Amino acid sequence: MSAQQETYEIIARQAKIDITTITLESTLKDLGVASLDAIEVLFDLEEHFDVTLPNEDTDFENGTVGQLIEAIDRQIAAKQAG
Amino acid sequence: MRRIVITGMGALCALGHDATSTWQAMRAGQSGIATITRLPAEQLKAGNVVAEVKAFDPLARIAGQRATMMDLAGQYALVAADEAVAQAGIRFEGELASRTAVVVGTGASGEATRDDQYRRLYADNASRLHPLGIVKMMINASASHISMAHGITGPTFVVASACASSNHAFAQAAMMIRTGLVDAAIVGGTEACITLGTLRAWEAMRVLAPECRPFSAGRRGIVLGEGAGMFVLETLQHAQARDATILAELAGAGMSSDAGDIAAPSDTGAAAAIRAALSDGGLSPQEIDYVSAHGTGTQANDSTETRALHQVFGEHAHKLAISSTKPMHGHALGAAGALEMIAAIGALREGIIPPTLNYQEQDPVCDLDYVPNVARKQTVNAAISNSFAFGGLNAVVALRSWR
Repeated sequence: MSAQQETYEIIARQAKIDITTITLESTLKDLGVASLDAIEVLFDLEEHFDVTLPNEDTDFENGTVGQLIEAIDRQIAAKQAG
Repeated sequence: MRRIVITGMGALCALGHDATSTWQAMRAGQSGIATITRLPAEQLKAGNVVAEVKAFDPLARIAGQRATMMDLAGQYALVAADEAVAQAGIRFEGELASRTAVVVGTGASGEATRDDQYRRLYADNASRLHPLGIVKMMINASASHISMAHGITGPTFVVASACASSNHAFAQAAMMIRTGLVDAAIVGGTEACITLGTLRAWEAMRVLAPECRPFSAGRRGIVLGEGAGMFVLETLQHAQARDATILAELAGAGMSSDAGDIAAPSDTGAAAAIRAALSDGGLSPQEIDYVSAHGTGTQANDSTETRALHQVFGEHAHKLAISSTKPMHGHALGAAGALEMIAAIGALREGIIPPTLNYQEQDPVCDLDYVPNVARKQTVNAAISNSFAFGGLNAVVALRSWR
């Protein structure tokens, strides 16, 4: 199961944007989520999925929402395997 | 106008336990950044690489039992102040005691004491806390102890503006000396922020990196440091009357607030502070040879600082030698400007510009001369030292060589 829908919802809520504007190719920067807001989105995602996202997986300048979801899925899988 | 000179300096940081060893390490391009030893590295993620003061014995460095009632931040400040006073060869006797100020810049102070108290309270469910917690952790403790240890009875306080605290302190001391309120000041900054609580809080902000690479392509953030730098300032007349050795002239200071974002820096705000420092010091942009940069190693700071230098210096920006010593002593927050003052004074006195370590390749948005990796011999007649803080608070100090 992908974390896609829940991730979209968290980004939309934190950034106060219409969820339909989010695509897998969007970057947080494209969505108008500025530095501190982006850090809060990442924190909300970590809290929601109870995972820790390493800094290298959270490039909110160039990284896409799709890459973020892949990183979350990886951390969830690692947690379940562990 | 009363001219202000620097006649003593003291320092303590990851590079050394005094100003001489700190400067020697800077000019040799050494780094004090390493894996943390004070805490178990596995308790941390990106915060496990820091620039720690190592093997510091406060009881050996501070007279009497005073050290036992001080937080690490106060101990660092007092040790550095003692060194600066000894170098200046000044005694605060008679009228001078009340005509001397103590101004210490610090972002937080008391972190180790707070961490320890709260661990006892919340984790260990301790039924009682140490009675000296308050006098150790209060942010003004460092200034108070310097005043007590040296018998200074003039205006004494701390200045807090996060990473610009030290430079705001220099500005306050300079203004008091200029107006004639005092004739001398002990001034600088201190921070002791290498605690679990502080490091975890910085990790949460996602600005810590495993290495500090200012102005370089591939930079990823800051490495925290700690320590103190303290200086003796006095009027030129006062210094000459007692035949003191003059290290440099504090020509001016400039301050500004971005009135913008709580975290993101502003080139306009930074440029305003630089311009104000030059104007206050009676210096034209073309007179500046060296910039001791804020250069934190974050994407945002280094590109913003570069734009600010372009705005103020125009064509001359390309002739500036610019370096950040943070890859050596880490980002010491409230003490940053004071440690970087050691670099600026060293460059003015010896004509050696400490390098920006860990520089790999040019980032198109950082297109100036950052003295990469290797120190440079170059005469420096005038310099500025930049500090730009979270909260949008900027302070810049301008210096002239004294020959």
